Parts: sequence; structure tokens; C-alpha cells
Amino acid sequence: MAGILIYSDKTRLALELAEAARQLGLAEDRAYKAVSINHDEQSLELAARGLEVFSIQRSELAAADTAAMASALCQTAEQLDVDTILLSSDRRGKELAGRLAEAWGAGCLTGVKEWVFLEGRTACARSALGGATEAIQIINSPRRVIAISPRAFIPVEGVEKGSVQPMEVKIEASTIKLVETRSLAGDTVDIQAAARLIVVGQGVENQEELTRGQKLAVLLKAEVACSKPVASDKKWLPEDRIVGLSGKLCKPDLAVILGVSGQVQFTVGIREARVIVSINKDENAFMNKMADYVLVGDLLEVLPELEKYLSQ
Amino acid sequence: MDFSLTKEQLLIQKMARDYAEQAIQPALSTIEKENQVPASILTGLAELDLFGLAMPEEYGGADAGYESYVLAMEQIARVSCGPAMILSAHSLGLGAINNFGSREQKDRYMPGACRGEGIASFAFTEPGTGSDPRQLTTTAVKDGNSYIINGTKRFISNASYPGPLVFFAMDSESGKPTAYIMDKQCPGYSVSEPWEKLGWHGGDLVDVYFKDVRIPAENVLGQAGDGYPILQYGIAYGKIGMNSVALGTTLAAYEEAVKYARQKTHRGDPIAKFQAIQLRVANIAMLYESSRWIAYRLGWLANKPKSFKDFAHEAALAKVVVAENAVQAARIAMDIHGSYGLMVDYNISRIYRDAIMGPQVEGVIDMQKIIVAGDILKG
Amino acid sequence: MNIVVAMKQIPDLQQIRIRNRQPLLDDVPLTFGNIDKNALEAGMQIKEANQGKVTVVCAGPRELADTVKEALAAGADEARLLIVEEEMDSAQSARLIAAALRQMEQVDLIIMGEGSGDNYSSQVGSRVAQILGIPQVGFASCIEVKGSVVRITRSLEDCEEIIEAQLPVLITVMSDINTARIPSVSQILRAGKKPVVSIEAQELGIDIGELSIETISNLAPEMQRRQIVTTSAAELVRALESEGFGGRG
Repeated sequence: MAGILIYSDKTRLALELAEAARQLGLAEDRAYKAVSINHDEQSLELAARGLEVFSIQRSELAAADTAAMASALCQTAEQLDVDTILLSSDRRGKELAGRLAEAWGAGCLTGVKEWVFLEGRTACARSALGGATEAIQIINSPRRVIAISPRAFIPVEGVEKGSVQPMEVKIEASTIKLVETRSLAGDTVDIQAAARLIVVGQGVENQEELTRGQKLAVLLKAEVACSKPVASDKKWLPEDRIVGLSGKLCKPDLAVILGVSGQVQFTVGIREARVIVSINKDENAFMNKMADYVLVGDLLEVLPELEKYLSQ
Repeated sequence: MDFSLTKEQLLIQKMARDYAEQAIQPALSTIEKENQVPASILTGLAELDLFGLAMPEEYGGADAGYESYVLAMEQIARVSCGPAMILSAHSLGLGAINNFGSREQKDRYMPGACRGEGIASFAFTEPGTGSDPRQLTTTAVKDGNSYIINGTKRFISNASYPGPLVFFAMDSESGKPTAYIMDKQCPGYSVSEPWEKLGWHGGDLVDVYFKDVRIPAENVLGQAGDGYPILQYGIAYGKIGMNSVALGTTLAAYEEAVKYARQKTHRGDPIAKFQAIQLRVANIAMLYESSRWIAYRLGWLANKPKSFKDFAHEAALAKVVVAENAVQAARIAMDIHGSYGLMVDYNISRIYRDAIMGPQVEGVIDMQKIIVAGDILKG
Repeated sequence: MNIVVAMKQIPDLQQIRIRNRQPLLDDVPLTFGNIDKNALEAGMQIKEANQGKVTVVCAGPRELADTVKEALAAGADEARLLIVEEEMDSAQSARLIAAALRQMEQVDLIIMGEGSGDNYSSQVGSRVAQILGIPQVGFASCIEVKGSVVRITRSLEDCEEIIEAQLPVLITVMSDINTARIPSVSQILRAGKKPVVSIEAQELGIDIGELSIETISNLAPEMQRRQIVTTSAAELVRALESEGFGGRG
């Protein structure tokens, strides 16, 4: 049976893809291998977790050049007898997925959060209708390109020793020029990547409560996110911190929700958190029904107490 | 009979809704507190062609018809009545020039006003005059090639903004009510501080004082001594805009009621689960549906009225229904909110104040019923 | 310069209601996704700075003829509609759009949203670029055209890339690239008078292939949470610690 190939330019995501590939391989009885591009460290890391890694070392191949990357991966897939390629569904991976799928003649799904194994067929779970629903979909073409959402799978825990071998591909002449790469300013936060979130809602009524919430975030090593009105109307936080239908869909391990009533437009953005805590002065807030732990109380009383116990 | 909106009408509705949510909503508390619509919002409304929406293209308007005017005004008033009130009074004054003005008058006043460069007003009411033109005390005395105007007008919208003012005065030669056009803020023209109103903040009402204001003789609107049809137009057409404001208020009350019913919980369940709340929501929905179709139809009729008198009957009837429905809807929505609804933090408190304005402005309710009954029972 | 903005007709997401976990799509008005409006606005701004023409291309059912007025009102000069009644997957849409683009005289810039508002699969742009064999830059937060070179800021999660490419290029944009303008009444009324070419998809004479994606179900997710009420901050902190979320992490 043809195998599975994984690729991400980011090692952490590649390790998650390896776990996704391991589960898929187990269900479909396929081997899985990895390709890494201009990234020795990643090759070694993947090999250390038992993967057979094919390393492309061509400095003229830039991740920014989606066409050249798709071509390189296409050639790798041809050489390795695989019929499924897993990519990361971050922005880089999503952009690559469509181009690779078209070049390789594959059906493609992105933003996949989970495997759903039906009798002999593998389906993918992903958000649809702007987050209102979860679709279970199957790619029916012989070749598949599947982009897996970050944090959907835990990084693979390999035991045996894998291998790294070189892979040769023909590099197409680049049609774009990467002029500059700028790392984003230090205070830019990716709430989707955060393992823990403190989410500020409209029940956080003043600056003092907001400051308390931010302090709680520091203690819990969490990032601060918010519901839409807090950013759009009150402008207390930047818009890229909005959780929900009109913001980001997040899947942290822990979400502590402060003063959010719990409308569906908000909850779609946080419902996949592993543990949800709702702190609200209204014991009947709808958010409380969507929480694992509920604490009813005034934020100005509750937050300082939480600080006290957490810093002990 | 086809009650569906065209794609263009849906887009005009959506345009007004988007603008109201994006630009007016953030300024709402300023409008309420300062009783003033920020200039940037007036510019924005002008860029969307809302100042000339129903006026002919020939004179700089968008010629979208009065039914589209109602659709747009409803969405603006849904967020804030102030800007809608400014547009309503402006469209009334401008419409008078469009319907009764000479070609020269239209060329002179309409294109700029359609672009929002001047905001029009319509002034009939005086401190001692309700809606009886025979009681007018403002005078226009012919002096060579001009008229000299003296008098006071009460509760006038947009009178602090530059632009044309259509006003009524007793013509000294004929001794009859006559309509004239004046450029606001000319020598001898002054206004009072705005009245502090219960609702519709941002759309200010002032008293206007004319002290020996000199206007050119050609500024008579229509014929000297023949102001009555223009007044009849004004009484009727003013209700299109006022109805739209009341309709937008009803829609806002409806949305607040539904939102609160879903959000507020009692012993763990949203209050929407209780029949007492459901019945109230159903009532508001019915009030809104009946208001909107009667208000849209009035807009549609306004495009080609059989006569202004005929239209005045339709407008009187529509006004009573739509204004009263707004009050009822706001009251029911208030009941759904309970004591929270009394708090300024809750939108419904403002909506309630806005709703109660409707029955009293642009002709009180009883007057409208008398007009309607008079037409039915005559002969 | 000729700018094409590809847009997708989708149900108005704000108006979708869920009953028994099923999304209710009947009677939900069709519109363009918000991000498609940002793509159009980006095209409009480039047109205004460089002169040229913005053509909107959409593939979908017949209702497009009405929906496209939104794009024409917002400033597009003309539209090409590819009428297909059947549901299509991203690969099929891409083939259709690419075929329509090939029919057009000269296309310098193709702009789309980075993902459609409803499905967010983010594939169509990449697939179209591959079919046409042109360079692409996704997730643009800034686009500047200077002569035949376009300079794009690609906004990734952890960095920004400044990229230059020769036209023609396909660009997908982020929603924060601009604020889409609201069309005026006159623009709305004039929209219906702008040129619209409507093409039945089969007339393009291409094989868009079989539907490769099968949807087994599409339901609103169930939410089962424990709803454990803690009565004090101390109790909550203990609960968090038992879940592995200590304060000192």
C-alpha cells in the first residue's frame, strides 16, 4: 500500500503531523515518512522519533515560493510511492496545500481537526459554515493532500530510531523574489497557538478588572484574548485577539472565560478548548453551561483571590 | 401584487444598515450626551447619497424613490434617531423645492443640498400656531425687489445648519399664507439654543427668529398667496420620514427584546422559554410587520401621489399606525427587560424615549384621526 | 491594468440558524463573504492608483446574476459569471475559474480572499495559480504595484515576508488588508447597468472532473461540559491543579 508523507516548515507542527500520520497509518495500514527542506535540525528531531526522513538541501528553494515548494514536494511524493501528503494547516501550509494538490492531481481538505474512521474509509472532521457546523468529509480521489490544524494532534512520541537520507529534486526557476522577512513585533500574540487563554468579555467592566485579568494570565502563563465587543467597541485589546465567529477559532488546553454571556458567535471560537472555566457574576450566564468549572462571583473579589492562591 | 424587495432595494437597505453599524453606532453615546450628530457622520451620509436619495437625478439626486428612502431611514433610525431626523427634515424641505420650485430655484438650491453641502429645513410652526395657516404671524412685506421677513418659528429642525429654509409667512399684498425660500444664517436670521427633548437626540429643534430679513422677490416658492398646497405637501410628506424613524425604533425594540429574551436567564433557563415572554415577543413581531408594510407602501405612494390631498389622507392613517406601534413595541420590549430596562446602560431605555416622540411630532395623533375620519364620513 | 477579483456566493452566515444541530439554509439570502469584499476593495485601490479595470469572476448557481450587483455597486467595472447549478468542490471551482481567466484577453492581477467565508478551504487561489502556471502570494496584508512589478506583504503567524513578483500574479488577501467601502445609492442603482457576461459552465468546453469531496455529515457540534460549580477561588485553583494547570506551571 502506498505510504503517507508529511511536511511542515515548522518542527513543532511536523511532529504533530507525524502523530496524525501514525494514527492514519495504523487505521489504513500504511507506512509514513517525512520530508524536510533545508532544515537539518528538523530532520534529526523527526528521525529521533522514529521517522524515516528525506532531506532536501537546496538553498535556492525558498518556503516563500509556493510554486517551487509544490513542485519539490510533488517530485518527492513520486519518488517515495506515497498517495497521501499531510501538511500543516497554518497559513504557509494552507497556501501550499492547494497548489500541491493541483500539481499532484489530488483531492484536498484543509483545517482538518480529527480523523473519523468509518468502516474502511477515513473521514476528516473540519469546521464549516464559518464555524457554525462541523463537517465530516471524505476525499474520494486516489491521491490526498490533507492540511492538519495546529494543535489538533499532540507531537508524536517516537521510540525507535529513524533515519535521514538525502532527497534530490529538480528546482524550478523562482518567479518571485523574497525581499525581506520581518519578524513580528514582540507584543504580537497568536491566540490560536496559545496553550492557555484568559478570555475577557463584556462582564469585565473597567480597567481595574482588565488589569486583574491580565495579571491572572501572567500567573497562569496564559495569553489574553477577548470577545468581539471588547476589541471592536471598547478597543481595550487589538482585534487579532478576538475569539469567535468573527475572530479566531481557538483550541487551547485551558480557557478561563471572564464575564462572557456565551452567545454562539463567541462560543464557536472556544468550544474545543480541553478545559473551560467560566467566571461570571451571573450564575445563569449561558457560558456557564459550556464550562467544565464555574465560579460565580464579582470579578473584583474573585480575581485577587485567584492571584493569591495561584502565587502560593 | 409583489411584496418582495428588489436586489437594489435590499442593497440600499444593507448599505444604510452597514453604515449605521460601522459609523453611527460607535458615536451613539456622544450623540445622546451632546445632542449633536458629529460632522463626520453627516459627511458620510452625504457620500452615500442619502441627502438626495429620492430627488431627481437632473438636480443631483439619486432618484431611488421614496420607498428606498424609507428602507434606508429605517436602518439608520434603528441605530440612532438623530441622524435620521436630520435627513427627514432635510428631505422635506428639499422636496418642497423640488415639487413647487421654479427651474432657477431648483438649479440654485438642489444640487448642493443633494450632496449634503447644505441641509434644508421646513418651517411652518410658530409659538402660537399649530397647523392652522390662518394663524400665521410671520410677515413678508414686499419692498421693491425683495421681501422683508419678521417673525418667529418654533421647533425647527436643521435650522442651525447652513442651507435652504422653506418657510411660511403672511404675504402683505394678498394677505394669504405664502411659502418662501431663505438662505439660513443670512443677516437678521438667528436661532435659539436647542430645545432639550425627551428623545431623538442629535436631531435638534430650535426656534428661529427673523428680524428684518431681506430675501429677493424671486424667492417666493410657488405663487404668492398660494402657500396652502405647499403646506399640504409638507404636512403629508413630513410623515414619510417620521414614520421611517418610528419604524426603525420599532425594529430596534424588536431586536433588543429578542436578544434579551435569549440572553437573560432565570433559574438556568433563558427567559425566552417562558410563555409570558414568548407572547410579548410575538406581539412586537406583529407590530413591526404591520408597521413596516404600511410605511413602505406610504413611500411607494409618495413617488406618484394622485394628489397631495389624497396622499395626506394615506399619510395621516399610516402615521397613527406606525407611531403608535413604535410606542407599544418599546413598552413591551421594556417589560421584557424588567427593571434592567430602566438603566441607561440598556439600549431599550433610549429606544423607549425615542418611541414616545412619534405620536406627538409631525401632527399629533388625534389630528390625524380627524383627517382620516373627515375623508371617510364627508358628504 | 486588468485586475480580476474572484468572489464566491455564499449564504449570509449571520442569518444561518441551527435546529436540532442541522443548519437551516432555506431562505437564507445569498451574498459574498466579507473577505471577498476586502479582495474587491484591494482590487479597487490598485485600480485607482494605477488605472485599469476590475472584473469580477464568480462561479455558482443562477442567483449570481443578482448577487453580483453587490460587487458592481462596490466598484467593479464588469463581471463574468460562470453558471453551474451543481455543488462543486474547490478543485472544480478552480478549474472553471482558470478556464474563464484563459478566455479573457489579458489578466495582470488575480485577487481573492484567503479563504471563502463559508468553507474556508483556502485552496481555490493556489489551484488557479498552479493551473495557469503563474506565481502566487497568499495572505497579503499590503499590495503595491509599480509598473510590471508587484510588491506584496505576506502576513504569516510569526513573521511578514516582503515579496516581489512580475505580473501576472495571483494574490489572496487577509481580511485586515482594508475596510471595504460601502457603496452609495447611485452606485447601487448603476450596478445593474454595468456589463455582465453570463456563461453556462458547459460552454467553456472543459472537464472540471468529478466531485472529489464527499460530505458525510455537517452538523452543529454537541457540547457536553461538566459544569462543576466551585464555590471559592481556592476550590477553583485546586481543581485547576488537578487538571495539570498549576500557577507556577
